[in-house]
Amino acid sequence: MNPTYHKADWNPYVAGIALGLVLLLTYVLMGFGLGSSSAATRLAVAGVSVVAPDAVADNAYLGQYVAHGANALDDWMIFEVIGVLLGGVLAAYSGGRIKRGELLRGPTTSKATRIAFAIAGGVLMGFAARLARGCTSGQALTGGAALAVGSWVFMMAVFAGGYVAAPFARRQWR
Amino acid sequence: MMPIYQNGGFDYPVAMMLATLLGVGFGFVLERAGFGRANVLVAQFHGTDMRVLKVMFTAIATTAVGIGLLSGFGVMDVGKLVIPETFMWPQLVGGLLLGVGFVISGYCPGTAVVASASGHVDGLYTLGGVMVGSLLFGFVYPLVEGFYEAGDMGRLVFPDVLGIPWAVLALAVALMAVGSFVLAEWIERKVSAKQGIDAPSDPPRVRNRTLGALGAVAVGALVTLAVPEPEPAAPKAPELASLSAVDLARQIASEPDGVYVVDLRSPAECAKGGGVPGAMCLPADDASASFLATLPPTRPLVLVDADGAGAVPPAAGRFAGTAYRVEGGLAAFQKDVLTAPAPPTEATPEALSSYRMRAALHARFTGAAAPVDAPMPTVKPVQRAVKKGGGC
Repeated sequence: MNPTYHKADWNPYVAGIALGLVLLLTYVLMGFGLGSSSAATRLAVAGVSVVAPDAVADNAYLGQYVAHGANALDDWMIFEVIGVLLGGVLAAYSGGRIKRGELLRGPTTSKATRIAFAIAGGVLMGFAARLARGCTSGQALTGGAALAVGSWVFMMAVFAGGYVAAPFARRQWR
Repeated sequence: MMPIYQNGGFDYPVAMMLATLLGVGFGFVLERAGFGRANVLVAQFHGTDMRVLKVMFTAIATTAVGIGLLSGFGVMDVGKLVIPETFMWPQLVGGLLLGVGFVISGYCPGTAVVASASGHVDGLYTLGGVMVGSLLFGFVYPLVEGFYEAGDMGRLVFPDVLGIPWAVLALAVALMAVGSFVLAEWIERKVSAKQGIDAPSDPPRVRNRTLGALGAVAVGALVTLAVPEPEPAAPKAPELASLSAVDLARQIASEPDGVYVVDLRSPAECAKGGGVPGAMCLPADDASASFLATLPPTRPLVLVDADGAGAVPPAAGRFAGTAYRVEGGLAAFQKDVLTAPAPPTEATPEALSSYRMRAALHARFTGAAAPVDAPMPTVKPVQRAVKKGGGC
């Protein structure tokens, strides 16, 4: 048995067709595709706005999320990601694999190490997703399926970056 | 006509409800693909389980074939799809950084949401990091702004770049995907054997049937190539609404900058004068007339030639706003506006008010003294083009 096997997982090609149909339906209904990273950005902007509204409003980049008195959370992407969360719960529950509080890590890796990796990778991705105007969902998948040139460049770069860094990041799985 | 929301099929609250429902589908599939577990995702980069590539490329091929099929039969307007714009350099560097962040955290932003949903706290830590990283980007934005805008190529899609129809390219993507799957499964077997573990054992029968069905649809989509292309919206002589010389004069009198006026006579004739004040001189057969199509549609476009019967630049037909041509051309403008009106022969209120208005316009455009009792015309401006777009 391959170590990543789980009985509730779909055949990857079947999952791919299903994912493609969800994305196609999104294009048909809405005229744009799926995304995720900007929901995290909006949540962060909304959070900082509570504490320091001026720091956000005066920022040349983050200010666009609250321009003209807009609520950073009143956006399609926020509603969509709420759906992703619900869909994830539904799938994990019906697949019998809700793992409350599980920290995935290698057998000899400390919790602190794994948490540090998770946060550091997240920070890097948050920055990179804003620089590239999207992440694996909004740029590689959504733009790639619409045959956008920049999205394919992005996707190839993601794989390249991943393969280069994988040997160095692998210690957390040992 | 698709896309439905962009074509006004439903309003904002319905869109937000659909956002949540589509998100449920997205999240459900990601979780069932196994993407809620970091060790599954990074196995892609260790070569032991390459399902990230399999799921992603199958999905991309499916959607691309679907869009090709719908647009090929003319039920979907690809031009109305909001497609990520190409900014070559930030997307290349952003992709590299995101790939590094992916293997460090074990998730990408979307899969971190699904991981959190299934209770994996490393997904939550990753999401916290993504939030911090976004803010970090905002705070260093002044330093990276130039790079963020570098390599701006706008809405750039392969069918336009290569001049190959959607359906053909979608089939090529599907074939490329299958090729990459053959390679990926070969790598899985090699690497797993080397590490003494079992390679992923998804039944080949399911793979063959699934990809076979996708391939059949992709090949079937080629029949759309036989569907006749709709006639381009710019025939030789575009049909333009007509506008009387007096209405044009009223528009200019009330709001000189509210309208684009183009004089279609040759530059030599324009130089002789007698044209509409403020008009730009641009002969119909001039190569640069194509820029008319790219004018922002915030004001109406008015074309005027010598007699209202000359050729009109085809680009005017592609102007996104409302385009008019002046009835009777400059001859009518001369006769109705630049010539002093004859006093009315009968004293009906309509004749009198029309006389007063024309006398006022004559005064406004020639500098002649207006009749004492002539009020400035009450002006109803030409209807403005409605701004398009918005929504997301």
